[in-house]
Amino acid sequence: MLVEFELLQQAQRGDASAFTQVVTAYRRRILGTISRLIGRPEDVEDVAQEVFLRLYFSLDQLRTPEVFEPWLYRLTVNASYDYLRKSKRRPESRMSDLSEQQVMMADAAAGSKAQTEEGEKHRVRDTVQSLLSSVSEEDRILLTLKEVEGLTLRELEKIYHVSENSLKVRLFRARQRVLKSVKGVTRRRGNSASSDDGL
Amino acid sequence: MNNQWSSPPAGGNGGSDAEVNAHLDGLFHAYRQACADPEPSVNFMPEMWAKIEARQASTTIFNRMAKALVTAALGASVVMGLLSASYTPPPTSANDGSILQALANDHAHDLEPLQIERISELEQQ
Repeated sequence: MLVEFELLQQAQRGDASAFTQVVTAYRRRILGTISRLIGRPEDVEDVAQEVFLRLYFSLDQLRTPEVFEPWLYRLTVNASYDYLRKSKRRPESRMSDLSEQQVMMADAAAGSKAQTEEGEKHRVRDTVQSLLSSVSEEDRILLTLKEVEGLTLRELEKIYHVSENSLKVRLFRARQRVLKSVKGVTRRRGNSASSDDGL
Repeated sequence: MNNQWSSPPAGGNGGSDAEVNAHLDGLFHAYRQACADPEPSVNFMPEMWAKIEARQASTTIFNRMAKALVTAALGASVVMGLLSASYTPPPTSANDGSILQALANDHAHDLEPLQIERISELEQQ
């Protein structure tokens, strides 16, 4: 844990400076998680502020220190999910569009050793976010927490309050959907390469 | 930066399952590296506290309104209770209190005298 439980207890009693210290300790981690969950840098701070707002008004319910971090993650997941559900600005995932986009990006990346590192990072972000858009918001968040954030199934159990088996099933299905998108991309890429050879 | 994400498994069938799985793992790993934890802006804390205070203010207003509503409802209930307790129905003059008298008064219009002319009219029909 990044803060002592005493500090949390002070914050529970309404000590604003203690709460500020808690936020300062966790805000970068929360900002990072949210940026990877929602994929929209311009709204990351808003969602993070909503997380800490919910924390502030529910902190008095905290009884034991060990549940604090899973609980904060849960608040983060819920706020991100609410954001994704409200803002339907994400482009709908259509397999044909996705494949086209992926083919272009993969081709461009393959032949561009001179590309800057920042450009590559940008392409990675676009690629993964496009792939994740082929699954529902819930599965997108679950998959990101597991595969990108590196949370264990035990940690996910505490966040979602569901059994490990049902988490495994959901993760497997979500991953299968994303894999299907990846396969579609590579299949398409292979076909376009062979038609180029034919010309 | 790890570049394995940019070379997906080739082949017309989209690569073997193991290859595609490994490629996806590489993509997720590269994504984690590409999305470093961002630095919060200088306005992060002031904006957060402003939101907390705004939420507190709206909660306070709502609580006050709810309390006022409850108080008004309680007051109205007490007044209505007092009124109903102090109300006594005025005694009717035709009713001396016995049940027979009350029934007779209630059915007085049924006991009007018979009109002979009207009966004869009915007989003619």
